[in-house]
This record gives sequence, structure tokens and C-alpha cells, in this order.
Amino acid sequence: MAAVDSAAEFEVLTTEAPAKSSRWAKWRRRLPILLPAGAVAIVVLACFVAPLVFPIPTPTGGDVLTSRLPVGSPDHPLGTDLNGNDILSRLLYGGRASLIVAVAVNLLGLFLGGTLGALSGYLSGKFDTVIMRLLDVLIAFPALVLTLAVAQALGPSQRNTILALSFFAIPAFARIARAATLRLNELPFMAAAQLSGTSGWRMLFRHIAPNIGPQLLSFMLLGMGIIIVTEGALSFLGLGIPRPAPSWGNMIFEASQTMSATPIQVVWPSMALLVTVLAFNLLGENLRSRWSSR
Amino acid sequence: MATATSSLNGHNAGQAATSRLAGVTRSPMVRLIVKRLLMAIPIMLGVSLLTFIVMTIIPGSGATALLGADATPEQIAALEAEMGLDQPAHVRYLAWLQDLATGDLGSSVVSGQTVTSILASRLPVTFELVGLAFLLSVLAAIPVAVLAARWPGGFMDRLSMVVSVTGLAVANYVLALLLVVVFAVVLGVLPAIGYIPLSESITGNLRTMILPVISIAFPLFCFYTRFLRSDLVEQMQSQDYVDTARAKGIGPWQVLIKHAFRNSSFGLITLVGLNLGTLIGATVIIEQIFGLPGLGQQLLQSISAQDAVVVQAAVLIFAFVAVMANLIVDLLYLILDPRIRYGSR
Repeated sequence: MAAVDSAAEFEVLTTEAPAKSSRWAKWRRRLPILLPAGAVAIVVLACFVAPLVFPIPTPTGGDVLTSRLPVGSPDHPLGTDLNGNDILSRLLYGGRASLIVAVAVNLLGLFLGGTLGALSGYLSGKFDTVIMRLLDVLIAFPALVLTLAVAQALGPSQRNTILALSFFAIPAFARIARAATLRLNELPFMAAAQLSGTSGWRMLFRHIAPNIGPQLLSFMLLGMGIIIVTEGALSFLGLGIPRPAPSWGNMIFEASQTMSATPIQVVWPSMALLVTVLAFNLLGENLRSRWSSR
Repeated sequence: MATATSSLNGHNAGQAATSRLAGVTRSPMVRLIVKRLLMAIPIMLGVSLLTFIVMTIIPGSGATALLGADATPEQIAALEAEMGLDQPAHVRYLAWLQDLATGDLGSSVVSGQTVTSILASRLPVTFELVGLAFLLSVLAAIPVAVLAARWPGGFMDRLSMVVSVTGLAVANYVLALLLVVVFAVVLGVLPAIGYIPLSESITGNLRTMILPVISIAFPLFCFYTRFLRSDLVEQMQSQDYVDTARAKGIGPWQVLIKHAFRNSSFGLITLVGLNLGTLIGATVIIEQIFGLPGLGQQLLQSISAQDAVVVQAAVLIFAFVAVMANLIVDLLYLILDPRIRYGSR
């Protein structure tokens, strides 16, 4: 009994307390979405705009004479690494690489995987069976291992990192889109649309896509976090963004090589990774619960 | 004959084969095992074919990797002929399959060791790592989730929420390095890298395993805790059987643990089974960081040395474990849910 009571109390507290001032209530309800969205915006601005506005040293081609400067050095607020490159600059440019890769992979996943999954769920029959068998194979394959093999096959570069990670994202999106489409098939409006002679492509783009869109979109935000982490793993293992170009993953690797001397250098890219992934996760999660409660 | 379990899995390959077998045995347990084992065969073939294709399109071959950059094309061609790599890809794949059928996994082109002996030395390390991480994450998540769900919105609930949301955003390799910084560099209480076999010293082995195990287990623990907590809360708030149990005068702890948890455990089991693939992927990078001589580390080395035979075998084992994990999940459903067991749903 007590469990339900305290749960009910919790509900009352969260829903009614802010009702005293309605403007405050509105903002407070939006807070779980606004806060992580703001954090994402700050990270994006810092990585893409800050280097254009502020005089920040280049992330590569540093001078060995100024290597391993401590935190708080003039001109190098976070110090410099083993090669004399400014760590703050590498952090921002590395974030660029991570974000570009994550956005590209997720868009590829969303469009290719989403279309494949929606088609598979909508057409069912043989097409569905073939696609599902293929996805079964890709899912039984440990994702990171597949990505590693593909990355090795293609060689390290930003474009190939995107391709390798897509191998991992497309089946995931396809499964989500298929499951959502199957649920949609049960609804009367789908039968109505079909009976009124709607063509297959129109069904897909006008009826299915808008309905599974929100779900795929919130999955995409969670996917941003996953891809940023996996890109980091690839770069950490030397199969992602090739050095000396910075990426959070290869910065973490470089810093780990000198960890006993300068442990603080592991912390910067790790924190950047943590904060960004956390922001994307929270945004995706909170948007999903907002949309599903409607 | 669509059983409840086949609808749980979403698709029913090998149904024709199963319906023939249905006459042989009426036990859903046996039927399920046979059916899933039959389903595993095309999946494993697909996995091995995909691995083979990927290893074939990697530029160069085991021979170029072995001879290094200075080798002349003639030397490479000679070695490739000696290793049988000059054959067309489909011939090599079929030959590999034929050997596999007789239990011969071939031998490494780099070290000359047989794949069987490589697996024998590498697998125990990886199994220990995965097994301990799995146990730790599940055994820690259950009590924390139950405590959090007992008083939703209470202190434990909020604390576990903050910890698990943060933990989910931490990459395992970042966690591994931070653990090394704290426990090996700053405190100096645990070794940063290295491996002591279990046969040599049990405490020494555990000391080398503890940081890698935590690195893998912690994100999983966060995932399971969040899932189980919200599922338990939902069961407690909206299920009729919970009201019935309460009306009978059963205490809140008992309702939570005996009734709600039993139902929530289904979701948890599914999640754990699906997660095994992630767990295996994690061993690759964690074994690399901690210098553990497991299968993940071997796989990474073999991929960069283009040692296709070893890569094939390792990937096949990983995929096999993932497929078997899903089979075990389905069997656990049978054990936990009498409706499925008696095929009456």
C-alpha cells in the first residue's frame, strides 16, 4: 500500500506544485528538454563557431619546443600535448570530427535503415523475410567487431569511419522502423488509405513516415551518443580519424600513453565525450517520453 | 502451431522443419531448442560469409602483412601460392567450410599455431571477463532497482537515477582509463595492465581482472537498473495482480519482490540476452587497454595482421555465443512463465 501512496505523492508533487504560477509551470515542464538541448547547442557552437570567432591556435603542427605545457599557460589555457599542440584547440576540432561523423552516420541510418525497415514492415512477405534474415546476420555479428573489420578494410579516414559505422547504424534503424510500421499496420487508417487506392510510395511517405518519424528521431538522438562513443572507440584503436587530425577518441588514446605523467590530459577529452553524450541521451530520452505520453 | 515463443521472437524460420518435428515431440522445451538450433545454422553461415567477404576486400593479404612493405611482388605471389591465397575467393570459402565440417579450423598464417590451440588459450580469459562482468552487473542492478522502486521519488530512487543516467553516458574505455588513473596511478593499489592466470594465483587473477570487469559491468549495471526500476514501478502501479496480492494482506516488500519482480524479470532477461553482443564487443577494447590475452585482443591483432583464418574463427565464436544467449533467454521464458510452458497462450 505504502508504495502506491508514496508514488502517488510523487506524481502530485511533480505535477501540481508548479501549477501555482502557470508560466513557471510551463517552463518547468519544458526544462527536461530545454536543458539538454541547450547543452547540445553549446557544444555545437563551441566546436563549430568558437574557433572562427576567437583566436585559437591550430590543432596540429604544434612546436615541440612548447610541448607538454601545464594547464593555465598563457595562450594555452588547457596546456599543450606531447607534440606541442594546443589541447583546447584539439578538443574543439576533435568535437567537430565526432559531431560530423555522428550526424552523417545517423542520417544515413535514418534514411537508408528507416526506409528499409518501413518497406520491410509494410510489404511483409518475401521482401520482409529476406531483409529480416540479413538483419539477423548483422545483429548476431558483434557490432564493434564488424565496424573494426570494415574500418580496417577501408583504411582510416573520416569518410571511411562514417561508412564503417553505418554498417552498425543501418540495421538498428531498420529494426526500429520495421517494428513501428508493423504496429501501424494494425490501425484502421492504414486500411482506409489502402482501400481508397493509395499508391505504395504515397503510403510510405505520406502515411508511414510521419507516424514513425518521432520515434526514429528520438532514436536518432540516442544514436548520436552511441555513435560518438563508438567513433571514439575506433579512433582510440587507431582505425577511426587518423592522427594527427584530432578526435576525442584519438586524444584519449594519446593521453593514455602519458597517463602516469599527466593524468589530467585524459580527463579533458573524456569530459567532453561524457557531457556531449549525456546531453544527447537526455534529450532523446525526454523527447521520447514527451512524445509517447501524447 | 505458432507457439507463444515464436511470436515473441517475431519471426518463425524453420517452421516447416519444426512442424515435422512437432509430431516427434510434444514438449515445447525440446521443440524450441531444436527450432532455434536449426535457425542458428543459416545465421552462422551468413556471419561467416560476411566475415569472409570483408576479409577478402581488405586490400593486401596475409602474405603482404607477413612480408612487410619491402617485399617484391614476386615474393608476395610466391607466399600467397604457398598459403593457398591465390585461389579464387569462393573456392577458399568452400574449402574453409569443408574443413570446418570436419572440425579443422585451420591455423594462423602469422604464428603457425592451430586456431584450436589459440582459442583454447584465449577463450578462458574472455569468458572469465564476460562472465564476471555479467554477474556483477545483474547482481548489483537487482537490489538497487528494487530499493529504488520501493519508494519511487525517494532518495534511493533519485540517487540511482542520477548514477545510472551518468553511467550510461560514460564510454567503457573512458571509464577504464579513469579507473586506471585512480586505482593504479594515484592510489597504486591495483595493477594497471597485465594478466595472471587463474591457475597461478586466484587472488592475483582477481586483482588483474577487477578493473576490466568493472569497466564493462558498470555501464550495463546502469542500463539494467534503469530498466528494472521503471518496469517494477509500472507493475506496482498498474497491475491487477498487485492489487489482489495487497488485498490479501501481503506486505509491500513481498509484493514487490515475489510478485512484481517475477514479472519484471522477463524484460530484464530479454535485455541481458540482447546485450551479450555489446558485452562481447566491449571485450575487444577493454582487453586491449588492460593487456588481457583474451579473444578480443587476438581478434584485434588478427584483423590488423589480416590473419583471415583466425578472424573467421573468432567472429564465428562471438556470433555463436550471441545466438546461444538468445536461445537461453527463450528457455528461461519457458521456465519462468507457465503459460508458455504449457503452450496455452
